[in-house]
Amino acid sequence: MDTNQLVAHARARFEHEAARRVLREKYQAKFTFAHAGGMWLAGPELLTLLKLCSGTVVVQDLYENPVKIQAEELYELAVQRWQECLNAWLIEYEQSNQQR
Amino acid sequence: MTTGALIFAHNNDHIDYVAMARWSAQNIQRHLGIPTHIVTDTVTDDSNSRWFGDYNVNMAWYNQSRVTAYDASPWDCTLVLDADYVVASDQLQTIMDADQDFLCFRRAYDVTSVNDFVGHNTFGDVRMPMWWATVMWFNRSRHSQLIFEAMTMIRNNWTHYRRIYKINQATYRNDHALSIALCLLQGHTLTVPAIPWSMASVMPEHRLTQTDLDSYRVEFEDPMQRSRWIELHDQDFHAMGKQQLGDIVANPC
Repeated sequence: MDTNQLVAHARARFEHEAARRVLREKYQAKFTFAHAGGMWLAGPELLTLLKLCSGTVVVQDLYENPVKIQAEELYELAVQRWQECLNAWLIEYEQSNQQR
Repeated sequence: MTTGALIFAHNNDHIDYVAMARWSAQNIQRHLGIPTHIVTDTVTDDSNSRWFGDYNVNMAWYNQSRVTAYDASPWDCTLVLDADYVVASDQLQTIMDADQDFLCFRRAYDVTSVNDFVGHNTFGDVRMPMWWATVMWFNRSRHSQLIFEAMTMIRNNWTHYRRIYKINQATYRNDHALSIALCLLQGHTLTVPAIPWSMASVMPEHRLTQTDLDSYRVEFEDPMQRSRWIELHDQDFHAMGKQQLGDIVANPC
């Protein structure tokens, strides 16, 4: 690495907006999970829907296919996935905020 | 039921795709726990070529055998990856668990946000939506077989399909053939099941380095020409700059 490259490297700043967008996209993938032959996005919409149901019900997955699921079982999986991912996202978000 | 990855790797004078594929196979085994089959027959047809910005040269591009993935794969369920797709997480495990015959990415984005990918996510003068052939997941269903048969037909009659979809570039691209095939098989309804998140992409003009086993730094200039950087950690991405990925593969962390 020559002097000019070293100077450029030292002057480079962390791009917070781009990093936040990458994190959003990354966790969009992590919120997604497969269960009972369907694909689900762990988030408020799914959790609210599942709270309205009980027992064996048919709901549409991400591909708009009807899937028979146990509401309580899918709720537990979704809320666990949602919270795990949000916690991990928060840690990465705070770390990125500390970057120069 | 067997599951594995498939990577097509045909070297040219500048790019060692086989080395990339070998390195990728290690990442795939580590994160997804599946073996990789590398297709690397000698290719004599060099009629396809394209401009590689990071090398600043037009060079041979042996990309036409991808349509044989259905027949070439030894697996019941196959994950086809470009040799320059970096697996740095278990993200793709989700699509391997999905009950779908065929999946691929519908959208890609530039991780630096410098480039608007609208032009990359569509093709031709008619702005057809593009489905990316960089990552494809398929099983042994008739639907998957038809997709690859349709891609083969499109590749073999590329000039004809180029004209229909008003694609200006003469170079055959698997992304275009896949998109046309998927649209044909879905009756042009554009309702094709896809991977439900976007594909991170690192452009050739941006500097990519590896900082740790699954961490990468991307340096770039923002629209105001100021030096900026971000880090990708535990995040899969498509490394569009082959030269920099080649350097990482040659000297991995």
